Amino acid sequence: MRHWWVWVWLCLGATLFPPVHAAGPSTDKVLNPGAELWNEVRGRQAAPATTQVQGRDSQVLVNEWGEHFRDYRRQRFVRYSGYLLAGVVSLLLLYHLLHGGLEVTESGRKVLRFELTERIVHWLLAGVFLLLTVTGVVLAFGRFVVLPWSGPEVFAVIASASKEGHNLFGPLFIVALLWFFVLFVGRNLPRLVDIYWLIRAGGMLGGGHPAAGFFNGGEKIWFWILTIGGLAVSTSGVVLDFPALVEGRNPLVLALVVHGIAAVVLIAASFGHMYLGTLGVKGSLEGMKSGLVDEAWAHAHHVLWYEELNRKAQAESSAREQGQ
Amino acid sequence: MKLKKISESIEPAVTVEPKAATKRAPGLSRRDFLRNTGVIGGSAALGSLLAPAMVQRAEAAAESQAQGAVKQVKTICTHCSVGCGIIAEVRSGVWEGQEPAFDHPFNLGAHCAKGASVREHGHGERRLKYPTKLVDGKWKRVSWDEAINEIGDRLLTIRKESSPDSVYWLGSAKHNNEQAYLFRKLAAMWGTNNVDHQARICHSTTVAGVANTWGYGAMTNSYNDIHNSKSILLIGSNPAEAHPVALQHIFKAKEENNAPIVVIDPRFTRTAAHANHFLRIRPGTDVPIIWGMLWHIFQNNWQDETFIRQRVYGMDEVKAEVAKWTPDEVERVTGVPEQQVFAATKVMADNRPGTFIWCMGGTQHTIGNNNTRAYCIFQLALGNMGVSGGGANIFRGHDNVQGATDLGVLANTLPGYYGLAPGSWGHWSRVWDLDLDWVKGRFDDGSYEKKGDKAVPVMNTKGIPVSRWIDGVLEDKANIAQKDNIRAMIFWGHAPNSQTRGPEMKQAMEKLDLLVVVDPYPTLSAVMHDRKEGVYLLPACTQFETYGSVTASNRSLQWRDKVIDPLFESLPDHTIMYKLAKKLGIADQLCKHIQVNNDEPLLEDITREFNRGMWTIGYTGQSPERLKLQQQHWGTFDYTSLAAEGGPCDGEYYGLPWPCWGNPEMKHPGTPNLYDGSKPVAKGGLTFRARFGVERNGVNLLAEGFYSKGSEIKDGYPEFTDKLLKKLGWWKDLTPEEQQAAEGRNWKTDLSGGIQRVAIRRGCAPFGNAKARAVVWTFPDPVPIHREPLYTSRRDLVSKYPTYEDRKSFWRLPTRYGSIQATDYSKDFPIVLTSGRLVEYEGGGDESRSNPWLAELQQHMYAEINPRDANNVGIRDGDTIWLETPEGKVKVQAMVTRRVAPGVAFMPFHFGGVFEGRDLRDKYPKGADPYVLGEAANTAFTYGYDSVTQMQETKCSLCRIQKA
Amino acid sequence: MARMKFYCDAERCIECNGCVTACKNENEVPWGVNRRRVVTIKDGERGERSLSVACMHCSDAPCAAVCPVDCFYTTKEGVVLHDKDICIGCGYCFYACPFGAPQFPEDGAFASRGKMDKCTFCAGGPEETGSADEFRKYGRNRLAEGKLPLCAEMCATKALLAGDANVIADIYRQRVVNRAASSLAHGVELQRQKFRATPERERTRTRGSEG
Repeated sequence: MRHWWVWVWLCLGATLFPPVHAAGPSTDKVLNPGAELWNEVRGRQAAPATTQVQGRDSQVLVNEWGEHFRDYRRQRFVRYSGYLLAGVVSLLLLYHLLHGGLEVTESGRKVLRFELTERIVHWLLAGVFLLLTVTGVVLAFGRFVVLPWSGPEVFAVIASASKEGHNLFGPLFIVALLWFFVLFVGRNLPRLVDIYWLIRAGGMLGGGHPAAGFFNGGEKIWFWILTIGGLAVSTSGVVLDFPALVEGRNPLVLALVVHGIAAVVLIAASFGHMYLGTLGVKGSLEGMKSGLVDEAWAHAHHVLWYEELNRKAQAESSAREQGQ
Repeated sequence: MKLKKISESIEPAVTVEPKAATKRAPGLSRRDFLRNTGVIGGSAALGSLLAPAMVQRAEAAAESQAQGAVKQVKTICTHCSVGCGIIAEVRSGVWEGQEPAFDHPFNLGAHCAKGASVREHGHGERRLKYPTKLVDGKWKRVSWDEAINEIGDRLLTIRKESSPDSVYWLGSAKHNNEQAYLFRKLAAMWGTNNVDHQARICHSTTVAGVANTWGYGAMTNSYNDIHNSKSILLIGSNPAEAHPVALQHIFKAKEENNAPIVVIDPRFTRTAAHANHFLRIRPGTDVPIIWGMLWHIFQNNWQDETFIRQRVYGMDEVKAEVAKWTPDEVERVTGVPEQQVFAATKVMADNRPGTFIWCMGGTQHTIGNNNTRAYCIFQLALGNMGVSGGGANIFRGHDNVQGATDLGVLANTLPGYYGLAPGSWGHWSRVWDLDLDWVKGRFDDGSYEKKGDKAVPVMNTKGIPVSRWIDGVLEDKANIAQKDNIRAMIFWGHAPNSQTRGPEMKQAMEKLDLLVVVDPYPTLSAVMHDRKEGVYLLPACTQFETYGSVTASNRSLQWRDKVIDPLFESLPDHTIMYKLAKKLGIADQLCKHIQVNNDEPLLEDITREFNRGMWTIGYTGQSPERLKLQQQHWGTFDYTSLAAEGGPCDGEYYGLPWPCWGNPEMKHPGTPNLYDGSKPVAKGGLTFRARFGVERNGVNLLAEGFYSKGSEIKDGYPEFTDKLLKKLGWWKDLTPEEQQAAEGRNWKTDLSGGIQRVAIRRGCAPFGNAKARAVVWTFPDPVPIHREPLYTSRRDLVSKYPTYEDRKSFWRLPTRYGSIQATDYSKDFPIVLTSGRLVEYEGGGDESRSNPWLAELQQHMYAEINPRDANNVGIRDGDTIWLETPEGKVKVQAMVTRRVAPGVAFMPFHFGGVFEGRDLRDKYPKGADPYVLGEAANTAFTYGYDSVTQMQETKCSLCRIQKA
Repeated sequence: MARMKFYCDAERCIECNGCVTACKNENEVPWGVNRRRVVTIKDGERGERSLSVACMHCSDAPCAAVCPVDCFYTTKEGVVLHDKDICIGCGYCFYACPFGAPQFPEDGAFASRGKMDKCTFCAGGPEETGSADEFRKYGRNRLAEGKLPLCAEMCATKALLAGDANVIADIYRQRVVNRAASSLAHGVELQRQKFRATPERERTRTRGSEG
């Protein structure tokens, strides 16, 4: 039973039922006064309430969103995002167990895939993302996952550090994301070939690797998930980090909902990215570490880019020849 | 186990720095303050703030805090006249906690915002901490001796150069009874009647109107007696904000007796929100609405004919006036439709006894005395007087405004409403054991007015009332009926922002030779002028740092115990009075029969002294011993009847509500409800007072066929004198000593109390048994009539209801009426301006705005404006506006609300510290600026004074509003 | 075991703010933090009513449900308290609370709020009962002294009741019985009734004339 509900009803609802003999000469024609009052209390009518106490939403008598927020957080967000993340991890695990990672026989010749700046920005973004993921996950699920193991004292330290870390490093994510976007958006514009790639599910359904450019369709989807999701977590994050920007508490609740959903989607997608970048596709991680990938790897996964690279190289060498 | 409330936060002296109200105020209590002071030994800033003794005590407090025992002290709230009991918890001299006094008969432990936060006064970070004077426009700390010496010398110089009347002694409703009495006596010893206090500007018209109707000018019943009311009418009264605990009693009647509540007010007040009938009148139309109600009463024969026949004089003349107030005319003048007036009248007629409550909405008018008398007549017509559940329940304002009024801190009377007649001075000189000629010699030896051909001595001439002191300073000397202008003002517990005409007040303050403020806070008096010197601020302590008796609105005297020692360098008011008297050379006379310890007069001796002289209103039976005993056993008194059931005070009424006849040994229980004939006088019964003679124009003024229970005279009778006793054959009832004392005396002047004792033993009221008079033939308007305010928006009514003509000399001053009304201001100033109270603040607000717990709840001065008026000039809620009257202007926030009617604006009057848009925060002595400052409503309020008492008009003026 | 509850009688609350300052006084709550507040609806209009609100000590408290660190607990008297040593100041409780009870000393950048503060039903907190730490963090523990919250004890009109839910329900029930009609009904009667009655016909009925 929701007790607060009952108590407010008792407080105000009693006026709904004046004793029978109290009915005045014209009360029979009158709207139920209690209903009117109740609507006022719930803030459903235009006239706002007032109070002498200054503070965020201090004039709101009953916070209509409160119960929805509680319901969302406990019944939906924690549960479904838990399912989602656990599900993604399980799927990846299952896939890996069944298929194992993709491996290409190395040719020994390396080509440059990522410039130094690109790698730095990637790892900056990845690092901040990981930090925010870990701290965010602690805040969202720690109570159910960590607390029972750690006990409240230890968890208080972890949670407090998580909250402060999350709030302090959050803005860095926006910087990294923007930089990352500028660097990579050109190579992530969708092309027709990406659709073919996607239809073939990147070759996971068998039949060899479909052709792909610098980034394949899957990577581009990840890029755009990251961009849009990142935009969502960033905007909502700014609101949450600087609450003075908004009035009342409802914008903050809204931001929190957006932030949570977007973050979970990002995290889930990032699991895929991380799997493919490490275990899923051997050699990928190397590309982001040193910037160099094996020609065979390039040919296998990004044949169009590899061909373009070759064309460029040939053009360059012929130009060189001509120039000599 | 009691809690040890120790705060660990170390945030020392910075908290005494002035801070903008909008900023976060420090969460540091005075206790922390003391403690930290002790611990860190005082920073440089603190070292200068605190006397060495203070620091030592703080150290002691800090050390013994852990093991010190908590002491519970019973005391009384210092905010309003309800007189709520408080239990203070003190440990090692530090006020640590406040507990509800559940067994206190007035409040059952309940408090409003102010009462629930009084503990802060015992910490008082924003208090004035040491004597300070203004040197070259800068505040300079001085010692007490230096301050008293310099002030004394200046006063004596003024006395010599001008006259004693050039010094104005402005007392306070915040003094306890003993201090109020001593203050009045001090002014008398100084030789002036220029002494007054806030009662002038709060209920003086009530006192005059009510006393002249039936004898005494006070609330007739009590807050608790409202439990017995069957209906409740409130006019010009908003107890939900001004007396919140009173609502406890009103709701009891409402819920248990189904008593309908009628609220008549220009504003839809928080009280009106709980009313059954709300009549929204145009400001200043109290007489028309009451006459409009009486019209229905007479029309339907709802009046109590028996009561009127037996106990009322002159109702026929009233009837003739009321007949003019037909429902149409009432609606035309007040704006209230007939049906509403009829319905409200009918519930009052149907549900008797009904009580009638009024406050400053009715009193503060140029016709305030007419209003109050009209209210009385309403109750007389319904026969609601002298009965439990009925009565004129006039809620007084300050905690001891009733006491200070009773003890004569007024320009027109000595203590006990004896007036200023030669006989009155004779009486009090006998009480004081002083030579009347010496007292007379203290006054100016000239004469200011003539009675017939005879020059009236100055001591018998009314002084200048506090409402007009600015005119006493600014008016041309030739126009004032005293030797010279006022040259020195002594503000002894008075906030200047409670008075109208701010710009002129500033001028007056600047023209003065000397301005002395004696107060726990600097008040606006310290900053509103641009003086460079001649200002002294003396820190008085609060009433929680001393003790004494205090009179609640219902005439009950309660004994306040001292909670803590005076903070900082502050001193109790009576000690300061004594020090000053000593300097002025009148200390021996002032305290002839009062023990003085270390410059502090013994308060109990003062109580005993006024017990010996206050026969008129029965302040004679309340000895300190009886009051203290009652205070210790306040739990034995009944919540409704206020009578003690069993216990050491068995049969007494709580607070021995005056009149408590005879001397303390007579053990009179006090009079819970005035004029109630259903009880013997010895048990608190009473009749109407025979104050106005026995016959007028051949009509008997004494009661006819009515007498109080057990009276041996079964009809009306005049007041008791030695002659009457002899005539009745009761003279032999007096002891020989009493006979000697009573010879040639009457009930008011017989210092033995014998005449009262015998009259009461025979079941008679010492003051006689007469009719109340509905016609006060000594007043400008014998039958109350309506007169339009000086500044009125209804020019169409001026010719029919004009105000008075200007007067040349009225309370020593020329006073304007018609000459102001003659000008039509309504074109330029279309909105009616009125003012009132907020629950969080009190009076001028210096004390409550310095209390962070209260200040946080009201941070901005505002004006309530109806949406219609706001829209007409393009103002939104929260905008800054200029509100301008013909005499002044204020810059405030707009609060757009339907609480006020279209064409009416309202401002609360507790703010100060901003003057016509200029922030005065940096002018306060360091660390003594209130948390919240704001424009004072009265800076804009205009001229206008009651035709009898010089009550200021603060409820009707005109203004215009513009966006700032 | 008694369950402690607050109950505010809207028919009696006059917005005097006594409860607010009583709370400040008793718990020395700093400027800007208000554990209790009085909210008025229809301010200045017919039907104006006020309610004093603070933590209602819900049996199934939303604040506790959403707290990411589970710092809330319910005492055996049914009082919802929290541990400031564990609280991380995330603000979720404030979002979830129907009454806006949780208060924060700050509202600064990087979501710095400080530790949440709220009405404790004058029951202190997890520190040792009556200790200086308890007072500093949570205010007085009146319950341990056998007293009830000061706000309710000091209510000017006894509108705010606090104590065992069954007892205060009885008190309120008694009041409703005593009230032949709520003044709200009166008020409505006054608002809606057009007073068609003329004085002669005396059709305007009143409560007193009926009873």
